[in-house]
Amino acid sequence: MKKILALILALVMSLSLVACGGGESAEGEGDAAAATSLAVCLASEPDTLDPALNSAVDGATMIAHLFSGLAKWSQDANGNLVIVADAAEELVEGVANEDGTVTYTYTLRDGLKWSDGKDVTAGDFVFAWNRAASPALAGDYNYMFDVVKGYAEMWETDEAGETFVNPDAKLAVEATDDKTLVVTLSNAVAYWNELLAFPTYMPVREDVVGNEAWATDPSTYICNGAYTITSWEHNSVITLEKNTNYVDADKVTLDKLECYLSDDSNNMLTNFQNGSWLMIDDVPTNEIPNLKANSGNEFVVTGQIGTYYVCWNVNEEILPASSTLTGAEAEAAKAEIRNAIGLLFDRNYIADQIGQAGQVPASSFVAMGMTNPDGTQFYQTAGDNAEFDGYYNVAADAYEANFNSAIETLKKYYTFDEATGMFTDFPSMTYLYNTSDGHKAIGEYLAGALAAVGITMNLENQEWNTFLNTRKNGDYSIARNGWLADYNDPICFLDMWTTVSGNNDIQYGKGAHADLAMYDMDLTAFGYDIVVEDGTWSETYDVLISTIKACTDNEVRYQLMHYAEDMLMATGCVVPLYYYTDIYMIDDSINGFFCNPLGYKYFMYCTIG
Amino acid sequence: MNSKSMLYILKRVLLAILTVWVVITVTFFVMRAVPGGPFLSEKAVSEAAIAALEAKYGMDKPLFEQYLTYLTDIVTKLDFGPSLKQRGRDVIDVITDGLKVSAKLGVVAAICAAITGIVLGATAALRRNKIIDKIIMIVTTAFVSMPSFIMGSLLLLTLAVKFPIFPANGNAEGGLVLPIITLALYPTAYITRLTRSSMLDVLGQDYIRTAKAKGVAGFRIIFGHALKNSLIPVLTYFGPMLAYIVTGSLVMEKIFAVPGIGRAFVNSITSRDYPLIMGTTIVLATLIVIMNLITDILYKVVDPRINLE
Repeated sequence: MKKILALILALVMSLSLVACGGGESAEGEGDAAAATSLAVCLASEPDTLDPALNSAVDGATMIAHLFSGLAKWSQDANGNLVIVADAAEELVEGVANEDGTVTYTYTLRDGLKWSDGKDVTAGDFVFAWNRAASPALAGDYNYMFDVVKGYAEMWETDEAGETFVNPDAKLAVEATDDKTLVVTLSNAVAYWNELLAFPTYMPVREDVVGNEAWATDPSTYICNGAYTITSWEHNSVITLEKNTNYVDADKVTLDKLECYLSDDSNNMLTNFQNGSWLMIDDVPTNEIPNLKANSGNEFVVTGQIGTYYVCWNVNEEILPASSTLTGAEAEAAKAEIRNAIGLLFDRNYIADQIGQAGQVPASSFVAMGMTNPDGTQFYQTAGDNAEFDGYYNVAADAYEANFNSAIETLKKYYTFDEATGMFTDFPSMTYLYNTSDGHKAIGEYLAGALAAVGITMNLENQEWNTFLNTRKNGDYSIARNGWLADYNDPICFLDMWTTVSGNNDIQYGKGAHADLAMYDMDLTAFGYDIVVEDGTWSETYDVLISTIKACTDNEVRYQLMHYAEDMLMATGCVVPLYYYTDIYMIDDSINGFFCNPLGYKYFMYCTIG
Repeated sequence: MNSKSMLYILKRVLLAILTVWVVITVTFFVMRAVPGGPFLSEKAVSEAAIAALEAKYGMDKPLFEQYLTYLTDIVTKLDFGPSLKQRGRDVIDVITDGLKVSAKLGVVAAICAAITGIVLGATAALRRNKIIDKIIMIVTTAFVSMPSFIMGSLLLLTLAVKFPIFPANGNAEGGLVLPIITLALYPTAYITRLTRSSMLDVLGQDYIRTAKAKGVAGFRIIFGHALKNSLIPVLTYFGPMLAYIVTGSLVMEKIFAVPGIGRAFVNSITSRDYPLIMGTTIVLATLIVIMNLITDILYKVVDPRINLE
């Protein structure tokens, strides 16, 4: 027994020595960082760095450093963001064809190389685009190619929506030789150049991606951008180093970018404050006021094209039990009620006191940052009011008037007790949000605002994935929602509300709403022979969206999009609260950094010191 | 070892295998009953795309058939399948990466806790009611009562931010020092108190007095008799300690950004990465079952009087 014990003790001691020794040798590995090396933290381990599969902002940032597409985001001499040619010699104008399609012919620059030294060819783009758009890959962003001719055929399914009828369909993109790429779009697309700079449009090489695990290992990750991945310690750090084969390598000032991976904003802040990381893309919400007050220029709030809103389930019963309204009349009343309830919320309070990160009170669903063809803000020309922007006045001093008019509207349908200032027969509802302190605080405010007039709204939170499922299936009455744009075109806020859209959380055109023939649409003023009276949602809104998508006159197209948003806002199902902002922290010593409206960060032209 | 012991061990091993199988089965069906799915996202892909993905990963088949396939792959090929979220990676790779770090963290913390705890406990017992005993007892009481996430945050604030001696992220050089200390503090304090009381008990036994009377050297009494016999209760704590370290490291990994298996486990659940949920659950469950098994068997080795039936 003594021997066994002695043996165990000896073993334990030697093991602990080994363990300690291991720790020390790991510490010795760190070399002194070179001057042009930068350590940052964007987020946790990316799900994928395959350009065709990625749908995350942090992944997009890394892909922007690793790949070079036909176009890229850049900063001009005045510091303005512009889209410029990258792999293409120039961003050409499209040539309109007789059938309304538009053809673009691009010439690739000389000297384009993959990181393993092989030439980048036009054929690589053809392969990459077809792969990214295909049902076989089923990437989250396959629909980014829906403007390209051939996409619709690719995704056409049988009646049941289960099998694809054209398994061999291809996009209308071809390489006439190694340096010439010809692509045909279904119609003119204002944001085409922006799409060309989007990660999903980056080229990949067929022999590289044949290996399904190619994008998970630095040795098989062949790319063509400013950097290559030299090491990837999963869940720990991804190291990018300058790609010597990149055609513009001489313009890249930062030699090495270390992207640390963390999913905890407190941990990010700690590492920023002790100087380990010079840029972090997230901060703890409860630290925002403190950081804003004490961090000077290091705390950055910048615009982001997105809207935080509350959505109603269109089929939710909110009329009082005594109401005799049915069908279209009931729905018209509900629309009026929902719009009135939207006016009971003080958006300035939500932005200033709860959000505290420079959020802008919203008065439209299409977010601030989306522009009209003439460069003016889309939301400022939304609605038909000369006095204010959007569909209602969000100025702080207009709140009282909004509130009073809302109460007057609600009085038409509900019993109002003048003595207490409360409605007595509003059915109680439940507000659904995904578990997060920020969403909870907003939910509590909304419930409080409604409770003040006698409307009971209970709060229910669900874990993210369950929440998505519940909201998608329409098993809720009123829910938290948010939408970030993928490109600068209002259509990405509007086409999600068609009946068949996967993002139609409001359930337009579904359930009881499917049969409600109550919407009018008159497009004759825009040159279309389309007039619908008392149509269903799918006969009006769905038709409107497909008209917009096929429209080749940009002026008319934007007018139609305003028309669509008017229709959407009239239902009252969308209650915009604020426009999103992007918050990050960056060390004072970094110059040459920029960030685009989609939240992608650019480090390649940074200098430190 | 006699045949009775062998039979006992065999029974325990079979029971362990049964436990793991139950864990696999329950997890598999409960996981699939939870709402949501791996292909849901804020920007919804079309129904057809989801159907295509489900077909690709065999999720279009009846649930029970999927269960049988999964079980067969595990038993015959040790194949945990591909991750649904980290496309292109196999579950086994994700687990191996995480386990390497977590094992280093856990093993070092356990060893530190055992050695420090036994030494401090024995010291406190031998210097009973002296000032050193009092100090040890006060400090360990504090550590036993303090949750590890508070300890972790305190250490982070003092040793990584105010006085940046150690890095705040587990990935950096020396980054595991703070998480190891945090993780080891509670079991250290617990083992110290356990060793102290058990040792005091043993020191009062007749055979210690007999040994003293016979003139056995103090060194031999302490190490040969007292310490050895007082370690049995400590040994019983090793099973729970492992469970504590495994679950505690989930919190530690978050606070210190340690790329361990805990993070993979939690993330797999929130993203409904079914194969990864199964893989991490099986590995963690097996680990705990095995450690408990070893502890049980060790009782018998250390104290033959313990009746295994």
